[in-house]
Parts: sequence; structure tokens; C-alpha cells
Amino acid sequence: MNRYLPLSILALAILAFATLMLVIAPGIQINARPAPEGLRPYTEAEARGREVYVSLGCLYCHSQQPRSGDQAPDGERGWGRPSVAEDYAYDQPHQLGTMRTGPDLLNVSARLPSEGWHLTHLYQPRAIFDWSIMPSYPYLFDHKDTAGPGDVVVALPAAHAPADGVIVASQKALDLTAYLVALDRTYPAPTNGLRDHGYGSSEGPEPTPAEEAR
Amino acid sequence: MPITLGLMLALSFVVSLAALAFLIWAISNRQITVDQGDAETIFADGEQGRIDNQGTEAGDAERRHVFDPVAAGIDAVSARPVIILLGTATVWLVLGSIFGLVASMKLHLPDWLNQSAPLTFGRMRTLHLNLVIYGWLSLSGLASVMWIIPRIFHVPLKSPRLVLIGAVLWNIAVALGGLAIASGWTDGEEWLEIPWQIDMLLAAAGACFIAPLVRTARARDVHHIYVSGWYFLAAILWFPVLFIVANIPGLYSGVEEATVNWWFAHNVLGLWLTPLGVGTAYYLIPKIIGRPIYSYAVSLLGFWGLALFYSQVGIHHLIGGPVPTWVVTLSVVHSVMMFLPVIAVAINQHVTVAQNLWALKESVPLRFISFGALMYTMASFQGSIEALRSVNSITHFTHYTVAHAHLGAYAFVSIVMFGAAYYILPRATGRAFPWPGLLKAHFWLVTIGFAVYFFSLTIGGVLQGLAMLDATRPFSESVELMKPYLEARSIGGSLMTLGHLVFAVNLLGLAFYAPRHTQAPVAAE
Amino acid sequence: MAHKSDPKRPAEIYEPYEEQAGVPLPVIWIAIALAFWGVLMLYDTGDSVRVSLNDRAEDSEALANVTPDEGASLFEANCATCHQPDGEGLRDAVPPLAGSEVVAAGPGIIARILLRGIDGPLTVADATYDGHMPSFASALSDAEIARLASYVTTRWANGPDGAASSADDVTDLRGEVADLGSFAGGMELARLIPSLPPQPPMPAPSAAPRDDADVLQLVFAGRDEVWSCASCHGDLGQGDETTPRLAGLPAAYITKQLHDFREGTRVNESMHLVASGLTKGEMTALGTYFATLRVPSNAGAVLSGDLARGEELALQGDWSIGVPACFTCHGASGFGVAPGFPGLAAQHAPYTAAQLANWAGGERHNDPLGLMAEISGALSTQDRRAVADYLATRPPVPAVAATMTRMETDDDQ
Repeated sequence: MNRYLPLSILALAILAFATLMLVIAPGIQINARPAPEGLRPYTEAEARGREVYVSLGCLYCHSQQPRSGDQAPDGERGWGRPSVAEDYAYDQPHQLGTMRTGPDLLNVSARLPSEGWHLTHLYQPRAIFDWSIMPSYPYLFDHKDTAGPGDVVVALPAAHAPADGVIVASQKALDLTAYLVALDRTYPAPTNGLRDHGYGSSEGPEPTPAEEAR
Repeated sequence: MPITLGLMLALSFVVSLAALAFLIWAISNRQITVDQGDAETIFADGEQGRIDNQGTEAGDAERRHVFDPVAAGIDAVSARPVIILLGTATVWLVLGSIFGLVASMKLHLPDWLNQSAPLTFGRMRTLHLNLVIYGWLSLSGLASVMWIIPRIFHVPLKSPRLVLIGAVLWNIAVALGGLAIASGWTDGEEWLEIPWQIDMLLAAAGACFIAPLVRTARARDVHHIYVSGWYFLAAILWFPVLFIVANIPGLYSGVEEATVNWWFAHNVLGLWLTPLGVGTAYYLIPKIIGRPIYSYAVSLLGFWGLALFYSQVGIHHLIGGPVPTWVVTLSVVHSVMMFLPVIAVAINQHVTVAQNLWALKESVPLRFISFGALMYTMASFQGSIEALRSVNSITHFTHYTVAHAHLGAYAFVSIVMFGAAYYILPRATGRAFPWPGLLKAHFWLVTIGFAVYFFSLTIGGVLQGLAMLDATRPFSESVELMKPYLEARSIGGSLMTLGHLVFAVNLLGLAFYAPRHTQAPVAAE
Repeated sequence: MAHKSDPKRPAEIYEPYEEQAGVPLPVIWIAIALAFWGVLMLYDTGDSVRVSLNDRAEDSEALANVTPDEGASLFEANCATCHQPDGEGLRDAVPPLAGSEVVAAGPGIIARILLRGIDGPLTVADATYDGHMPSFASALSDAEIARLASYVTTRWANGPDGAASSADDVTDLRGEVADLGSFAGGMELARLIPSLPPQPPMPAPSAAPRDDADVLQLVFAGRDEVWSCASCHGDLGQGDETTPRLAGLPAAYITKQLHDFREGTRVNESMHLVASGLTKGEMTALGTYFATLRVPSNAGAVLSGDLARGEELALQGDWSIGVPACFTCHGASGFGVAPGFPGLAAQHAPYTAAQLANWAGGERHNDPLGLMAEISGALSTQDRRAVADYLATRPPVPAVAATMTRMETDDDQ
């Protein structure tokens, strides 16, 4: 190991090989798949809402990739069927996420399609869940004396409502909500959809600790 | 799984194994080796035969390994760029840890500082990550590279001015990146948040760092490249490739983008921060102790093993996700194969330290660096185990992962860099730290703080993961049970931040309150 | 430097280097062991993938019903509970198939009835029934409906004209009747079947709470402090995922749940907020409203549960683990038994599985007799998914007439 050039070339060649395996080959495989029939592109408002989602960093607490029942009870939690690569055909930047400080959101609209619910929850999550540690987003809302025409008033329980006047949603809040209520990929998955199938086991999933205790 | 892709997976693994087998064979048969002639060419002209009679325990073989960089005027050239890189890195460290602490507190005080978007958790956390990775770790790592490369190559740093320009550009880019993230302008992928327009500036700054290093390497005055040099020279080639490929705008979308994202994000650790940390430790541990590294053959195994295996582990961040099984499996297998290079590095570094434990008492920098090196072993072992599917089902999506990330990026790389800064700066400035007690205070603050941080999140993360896997427990339980652990994390984080403030005070003390050395001054320009 | 006087500290001029030593043997052994492990792991993953892909293929087969069951077994699984295995029906409750003028009209009519259901009085074989037959459109595939229609006509229609119906015919029919609700009793059937005896008139629509402006306000607009029912449960109370289908659940059951949500004896944060703003009268009115809604099923088997096991649990139970059949309490076909036992048929599988898990874990505990904790606790994760998936594939609860619901709620109070 005394020569600079061979060292550099070999080091770069190894990286190139890794790039081939982790970037190029899966990229070709994924791009060869058409978008599923049930998936539609985002509307303008939804796309704007997605930008708000990205810029506020929702990704850091919310994944968008339900796991299969062989691995985890995501289905029972209402997070939807295990997602496949084709489900993300229109996502850029991707928001798969790696944390579940909060629940998975890929199909949040299937279980919570209510715009009003989302507005309340964004304004103050603890108005609904007293245990929630999600940030509140008061700056996405305006405090007005009376709602004007076309204003969307946020439903709030007395403990969290302002003493006087009303809370109305800003355009950003409405866009973000439009995105959230568009998150529903519960249409049937393509039968040959791409995903990690490494958890299939003829014995079924591991018993939970509670089951083992019995 | 279609046959072709199954074949690719098998092929890739076979290639790695074959390369590994070849490497071990070549080493045992001395196909790649350093002979005595190589060893002798380490010395600068006129250095050979000079006896260092300053009372080291060095034997004959070691006595030939003498080279005084101070006398050779090497440090004098790199001193200024290194001081500037380390100084600005420290600013980012302090800022980054304050943002990190705020983000940590927000997880148990969610309504604190909630009146403005830049202060929200999603942005504070992102600022923390980007400032400590691109600001603190990259800059301090580069400082260490700029200091060590000329020393092991026995030539002064080439184009030091270019490095200064690079430092200015890089700092401007990190500042702009931070402002962009705070204002909500982001590329929206973990580790790649800085908008690509600003990334171009970072790339330009990177070029200003790489060109002088390559020139220095080509002009080297030694035949043999010391192991630190392998890591550094490879890292400065790997990182630009990673950074540019991953930041090309508009090229990737959907799950393909996710694989690019994690190929990049894990390689930033594996092929950028890790080589910086390991290379620094490889130089400073024997340097401070005054004993050679245990085995050249093992060094080779460690380096090429890292290159072969670490480069393919990234997709273990998407285990159980919507990516083809074969890519995930590839990354899982390679993650576990990482045991090998890590054991190799551990043998080389820990054996040297373990045989010279007295030195830990003597030298605070060594205390930092060998602690960091130990944490590299721990972080890598933990990472390999965490990539196993059965373990990953529990720890994935939980704070366990956050603890692991900090074990690698903080307890290993960052703490090695603290040690490097404490070693380098007195030599670069020709001054001594005015308050030596504060160096020890720094060490204990960050190690105790980190221990609190790590154990609370690790334990909490496992409990959180078990709760999420049990359908009979509502999701709220996984949130509520984490709260005390998140509070403990903030306490640990506060201690670490306090430690960083002490570090900054030490550096300020060195700049403004330190008397010049009376002995062994740095050669004047 | 200050440490130069320290004999143990090296001078700055020491240059780090590596000694010549081979790779320690244990490292080589570890390398070989890791390589073996890697190969094993690849092999093992290949196995898992095969199992997963098979499971998925089975799931999609179950959805597409590539190989439908024979007519006889379809009849036994879907029809025999009410119409009886011999097709004689139940006196005063379920019309017979044997000797029925409707069945004699041929497989096309049977297929239409299977797709649409019947909601209204009907006279066949000289007796009048207050008919509520569910739609099987969501429960059975085209091929299955064709087979079942052929089977029923061949077995019970007198004469040789038990012509077979084909899956393609049913596909066409499905499109044709997609926007039509249930048959409005014998009156509407008689328009298609001239040979039917005189049919009883449809009762005039009663003053159902659907016309109550206050209730409609709650359902569709909500109040200042809470969201509307429909915003989550859908305009017709169909629900999705873990938000339950409400259409056709017993009124008293819905009212009790609202009450329990408010009191906190059943835990759901969003529903607690909603129920806290409701008066007792409003809860009762909402119960009645949803009990009378009728909407086709939008549920399906989405949890990859074993449908055969689910059917076994629902119909027979499993006494080896002390679990009675679901339908023993929840009524034939899982249509529910007012006032205490909710309908389970066509309920969303994630909701059912989540509730079972909640009973098992103690999160939910508001059933009158405390039976569900024991039953759910005995089920494994796989069993809970299997039975939830099976129930989701069942035809939906036929809505109860508003008048009956009124009476039932009045009794309850």
C-alpha cells in the first residue's frame, strides 16, 4: 500500500460497485413498475400541502411505510396494508421516514378522513390526545374576532378555545390538511408489488409477550 | 424474487467474499507488504540515524521512526488552516448542540417555544443534524486530515490558501444551509436537507479541500503511505462522489429516492466520518503513546474490509419496507460482515492502548481518542446486531436508533475529534491550554452526559419497540412510556452541551489567555 | 513542551508505524464463520420470500376467487343459516326457496337479488314476509354469484328451466344494478316477474330521524367544538380501517357506546371529545339514525388472515381454547342481536382485530357480561386477524326499519 493511484482507483471501484447494487439496480427494477391503477397524482392543493409537510419536518416522527402482518401489527392499528414500491410513484421527495414517535401516516385518511379533525389536531394535538407529544402549530392558524366569509373555523373544545373570537385555518393549514386527507393507499396492491418479503414464516408471527405469558 | 435479481444478490455477496479471501491470502503470502526498505523511506533526508535521546522507551526499530515535523517546518504551513477549521467547527458544534437540546426538550415539553415555525421540532432537529454533521464533524475532521496528512507524508501542506478559501466557502454554505432549513426551504430527505443550490457551494468548497490534499499526497516525501493516509485519501474521494450523486436534483423519486437516500446517509457515516475518526485515531494513539500499531496486515484487513462491506449496508434502514427483498438482504448480510473490519481495527488500536494504560492518565487527548476508538467498536457491533431482521423488528422506528446514531457519530467521531483538537491546537499555536482542569471537566461532562443519553434512549427504545409490536397495547402506550426516558435524554444532552461550552471556553482560553510556550515553539513563518 | 521532562512521554519526533505481524488466526476463523453465516442467511431469506409470496398469491386468489367453490358449499356457507339447508325457510321470518315463485323466475333474477338484496314486504308461496335480505355484492365474486344462482334455480325451481348463469352475465348485471339500492319489497320484484302473486304494498316511509334537522346537523356539519360524524364515519356510516362501520348496528348499542365514550368506560380520545358535547337525547337519536342506515359493504379481508380459520371461529368457535362461535351471540350471519350485541358482518377487519386486541389487552372492557376479554384473550394474533378478515367479507347487516328501532330503543330506556 505504497502507491496512491491504485489505492484511489480500487477505493472508487468498490464504491462504484456498491452504487450499482444499492442505487442503480434497484432503481431500474423499481422504475420498471407502472403506478398502480388506484393511485392518482396529487392535486395542486395536495402538492402544496405536501411541501408544508416536508418543510415542517413531519417526516422525523411519522413514517409512511406500513409493515406486513408477519412482522408487526400495523394492520390492526389501522395503518393500512403493507406498502409496495409502486405506491410511491408520485412522491418526490420521498417521505418514507424512519421514526414512529407518532403513528404511520401513509393511510391516515383511510382511518381519519375528517378535515375538521386534522385542523383541530394540528392547532393543538393535546386538545384531543392529552398524552400527545406532537408539536402544536398555532402559526398555521389565525385568531379572528369573527369568521369572515369562506373562513374555515377550527372546532375546539372549551379548554383550548380562545377566550373570545375564533380560530380560523390559514391557507397553509388547509393545504396540509388536503395532503393528509389524500393519504389513502388502501386500494388493492399490485399482486407482484415490490417490497421486503423477508418475514414470511410458515409458523406465523412471533407470539407477543402477552401471549407467551399465557 | 426473479432469478436475475436473486443472482445479483448472490453475486454481490460472492464478490465481497472473494475479495476478502483474496485479501487475506495476499496478506498471509506477503503479496502486499511493507519491507524494510519501505520503512526506511519514512524518514526525511538527513533525519535517518538521528537519535532521539529524550528518554523514550523506544527500541532500535523504533529509533528509526523519528521525524520532527516541527523542525521540518511542516506544522507551520498547516497551522493556520487547521486553526480556522477547528475554530469554526467549534462554533457549529455549540450552535448544533443547543438546537439538539431544544429539539430534545420539545419531545417532552411539546408546547414550549411553539409560536414560530423555525422553532418547531422538525426544524430544530434538522438544524441540529446538519450543523453537527456538515459544520462540526466534517470541518473538525478535515482539520485533523490537514494536520496529519502533511506529517505522515513529510511535506508541508500544498496550497494552504486554497484550504482557507475552502474553509470560508464551506462555512458560508453551512450557514446558508442552516438558514434555509430554519425557513423551511429543504430538499426534504434525511441527511440531505440542505437545498441542492447550496450543496453546489459545499461541493465547490470541498474541491478546495481535496485539491491541496491530493497535491500533498502526490508530492509526498515517503514511499510508504501510513494507514491513516489510506483512510483519509479514500474518504476525500468517496465523500464527493456520494455527495454529488445523492444531491442530483430531480433524478430520483419514490422508493428509488429512498434507496439513494440511505445509500448516502449510511455511507456518510461509513465512508466519510468513520475514516476521518479511524484515521485520526490510527495516527494519534501510537503518536501519543509512542508505541507502534500492532499489525500492518490487520490494518490492511480493516481498511479494505470497511470499503467492501460498509459501502453496501445502507438499505438496512429500510428493512421491512417497500424495497425489493434482495437489496435489503444484501445490506443485512454486509452489515453483519462489518464485524470483521471492526475487529481488525479494534485489535490494532485497543491492543496498543491496553498495553500502555499509564498513558491514559498522562494524556487527556489520548483519553478522548481511545474512548472514542472504543466507542467505534461498540457502535459497529451494535449496528451489525441491529441490522438482523429479528432485532430490527423491535428497534426500527424507535429511539433506540437515535441512541445508536449518537454512539457512532458522537461517542466515536466527535469524541475522537475533541482529543485531536486538544492534541493539535497547542502544537499549531505554540501555546498551552491555560486551564488544564477544564479539559478533564470537558471529558467527564461529555462522557457522563453521553452515558445518560445513550442508556436512557436504548432502554426506552426497546420498550417502545416492544409496545409497538404488541397489538393488545394501544399506540399511546408506546408514547407515554417513552416520556421519562426522553426527559433523561434531555439531562444527558444538557451535560453534553455544557461540555461543549467548556470545550469552546478552552479554545478561547488558548486564543486569548494562554502564555506562549517557552520550549519547542512552532517554527515561525 | 512541558512534558519533555517526563521520561515516560515520547518526544514529538516519534513517528507512528505498524509492526509486522500476521492476521491472528481467530480473526480468520471469524471471517470464515461470518461467510458461512452469510450464505445461511441468504438461503433462509430465500425461504421466507417463498412463503411470503405464496401467502400473497393466496390472498389475491381469495380476492379474485379464481376457483370458486361448488354451488352447494356456497349455499351452505352463505344462505343456509337463514333459508335453512333444505331451502324451506323459517315460518314468519325467512321466505322459503322451495316452491318460491321468485326462484322459479330463473337464475337471472336470483343473481339480481343476490346483488341488490331485498328490503320490504314480500309474498311468496302464499305467505307474507317482512323481507330484509342483505346484498351479497361485496361478499361474493361474479363467478360465485353465477354458481349460486344456478345452484338455487336447479335445486328448487320446478321444471327443467334451471338454466345456468355465467360469470360474464353477472359482470354485466353488476354494472346494471350498481346504482340501485335493495329491491323495494315484492312490489318492485313483481315488475320483473309477472308470475308473482299479488304483493303487499310498501309501508309509507315513517317519520325516521333522518328528517330530524338537529340530527342531520350533527351528522353532516358537527358543532362548534366537535367534528361531524360523517367526516370520519362517511356520509352513510360506512367507515374504513379502524373507523368502524356504523350503518345497521343496533341503535341501543350505538347509544351505549357514545355514553361510554363520554364516561371514559370505553377509551377513544376523539370520540370522548365528540360524545362529551352530546345530550342523552342526541345520543339516542344518533343511535337510531345509524341503525337505520343501509350501505353496501366497503370492507374486505386486508389482514392476510386465514379465512377458513376465521369461518371456523365465527360459525363453530374453537372449544379447545374455550372460544364459542361468534354467531352464537352476535346473531345468525353476524348481523347482531339488539340491543347488546353489535353486528359484525362487513365490519372493517382492522377495526374488528383492533377491538379484539383491545379486549385482550384490557384497553376495552365495557361489555355488559365481561365475556369479550376472556374470548379475545384466548385468541392468538393470527386468530384475531383470521376472524376479523372473515367477518369483513360477510354481507352487511340489513338495516332495521326505523319503527322497529324506535321501539327497541324505547324498550331500552
